[in-house]
Amino acid sequence: MRIDYAIRHPITLEAQFEVEGFTVLLGASGEGKSLLLRAIAGLVAARGEPFGGMAAQDRAVGYLPQGYALFPHLNAWQNVAFALKGPQRRDQAMSLLERVHMADFAERFPATLSGGQQQRVALARALARKPQLLLLDEPTSALDPVTRDDVIAELITEVHDFGIPALAVSHDPHLAAVADRLVLMHGRRIIQIGTSETVYGNPTSGAAARLLGYRNVHRGYVEGTTSAPRLAWPDGGVSFPIDDQAVIGTYVDWMIDPAAICLIDAHDALPNAIPASVEVRHVDRRITQLGLRCGQGRLWVAIPDGMQVPKSPAVHLPPRAIRCWAHDPSRHPSETPLLPGEKLPIR
Amino acid sequence: MSATTYRARVPALLSAFTLLLLATPFVGLAVVTHWRSFGFAEGDGGAIAVSLGYSMLALVLIIALGTPLAWWLARYSIRGKWLIDSLLLLALLTPPLAMGLLLASMYGPYGPAGSMLEHAGLVLTNSAPAFVMAQFYAALPYYVIAARAAFEGVPRELEQIALTLGHSPWRSFVHVSLPLARLGLAAAIALAWVRALGEFGVVLIVAYYPQGIPVKLWVNLQNIGLDAVYPLLWVFFLVAMPLPLILGLSARRRHLI
Repeated sequence: MRIDYAIRHPITLEAQFEVEGFTVLLGASGEGKSLLLRAIAGLVAARGEPFGGMAAQDRAVGYLPQGYALFPHLNAWQNVAFALKGPQRRDQAMSLLERVHMADFAERFPATLSGGQQQRVALARALARKPQLLLLDEPTSALDPVTRDDVIAELITEVHDFGIPALAVSHDPHLAAVADRLVLMHGRRIIQIGTSETVYGNPTSGAAARLLGYRNVHRGYVEGTTSAPRLAWPDGGVSFPIDDQAVIGTYVDWMIDPAAICLIDAHDALPNAIPASVEVRHVDRRITQLGLRCGQGRLWVAIPDGMQVPKSPAVHLPPRAIRCWAHDPSRHPSETPLLPGEKLPIR
Repeated sequence: MSATTYRARVPALLSAFTLLLLATPFVGLAVVTHWRSFGFAEGDGGAIAVSLGYSMLALVLIIALGTPLAWWLARYSIRGKWLIDSLLLLALLTPPLAMGLLLASMYGPYGPAGSMLEHAGLVLTNSAPAFVMAQFYAALPYYVIAARAAFEGVPRELEQIALTLGHSPWRSFVHVSLPLARLGLAAAIALAWVRALGEFGVVLIVAYYPQGIPVKLWVNLQNIGLDAVYPLLWVFFLVAMPLPLILGLSARRRHLI
């Protein structure tokens, strides 16, 4: 289903993209993602298709807002039956609850259900409307981090089972990683669209990489000569050689994989070594990452199991592992790293 | 006594003192009532019927006209809303006697609205409609302010969700806004009921007749004395109490509507 919407108030926002299967619109807070969902549901004045010009009650959408908004005065089956009519409404509600594995909780009131259970009741209620499109606003925001992955897996299975296209808006890269289709929004524009694999494998800008949850995405400035380009990193107060074909004299967003960074001893006095201090040690199952302070900036470095951290640590950034994207200040003026003519604080 | 027990007892003792203050006049009433010669003055029965019947009618009118206004004020932001707030406050602030005089000057036989309505056959002085009007004016602002607060407490998102589930705005109001505002609305109705039933000042000016209980209490005091006041007052409590009591209790259950 193609979404093509333009909102003028309270912010200006335009969005065109296809929703296929479980589609996630990923964007930072304040981008207007929730507003877009509310516009599609007919709750905010906007122009666009599908459902253009229809009243909210006539739009065949199933809308799950943040926190799910179950009616607190109705129990689970009454919530689901709210969208149903006729003498069979209780049976229909029960069969929908069964499909989301919540039949045993039919008599329970929302306040006694967990976040995941509430989400499933809200999903059953939205599906009772027989929607052509499901709209989910930050579906992972009210979930317990421990059970979140399981709840997401169940949600996606249910969405696929019902065969209704679903658009979820989120700032959670965890949710984006399991989407059939991923739409990235930055600066109130769509900046990248594709399958999760293609978008994760090839973010087309620093903003996209940040949204996807990549670590070590920074801003910099390309200097030196075409044959020996160097990247100045103002936050780190250093510059280092790069292989990337970036244009000399331009601002860039750059990124390096934490696993590609070499942790060395500052006493080894290797060329282009960047002195650092250990700020935080992040152990996530079998992977250990160190948060290293370099000047005003921070670099994350993945270290092998059992590796001893040198007393005076430093890092070496292999030029081949550094990826640069041209930074377009006209598109995101608020992100221009330095004013024109401003001197970079390089040692 | 440990510090914790002491701290827990202070509010309980203060509350007991406040309740005692509140109960004092009624304890006094129980003491001063001549139970052996408990009897009613002539016309007390009629006053009870007038008060109950017309207060109920006034209450229906207040709910019918006040609820849409309260909901509109709770849900829509309009320019100059402070003017509406001021009008409600003005109606609340006006001393009852003054409100009676204002109503008489407007709806009385020589008032601009009164003379017109009289031509249409509606007499708004010393008549049943005048009695209902007096109670309506006395209780409406209390109802609107309390009901507005009740509607403001209903999350707007839930009303909107009802729309996305295919319900019309009216059905959303009936099935979501009303049940969720039921506690506050019950309080608003109870408040309007006691204000209407107990109203004396406004009624005294525009509807001395037909005599309701508050006016009859005054008449009994003037004509007979205190002994004729207490029995009617006991009946007043007896007939006025059930509605707010039942409303309060039933609204605390999950299903009112």
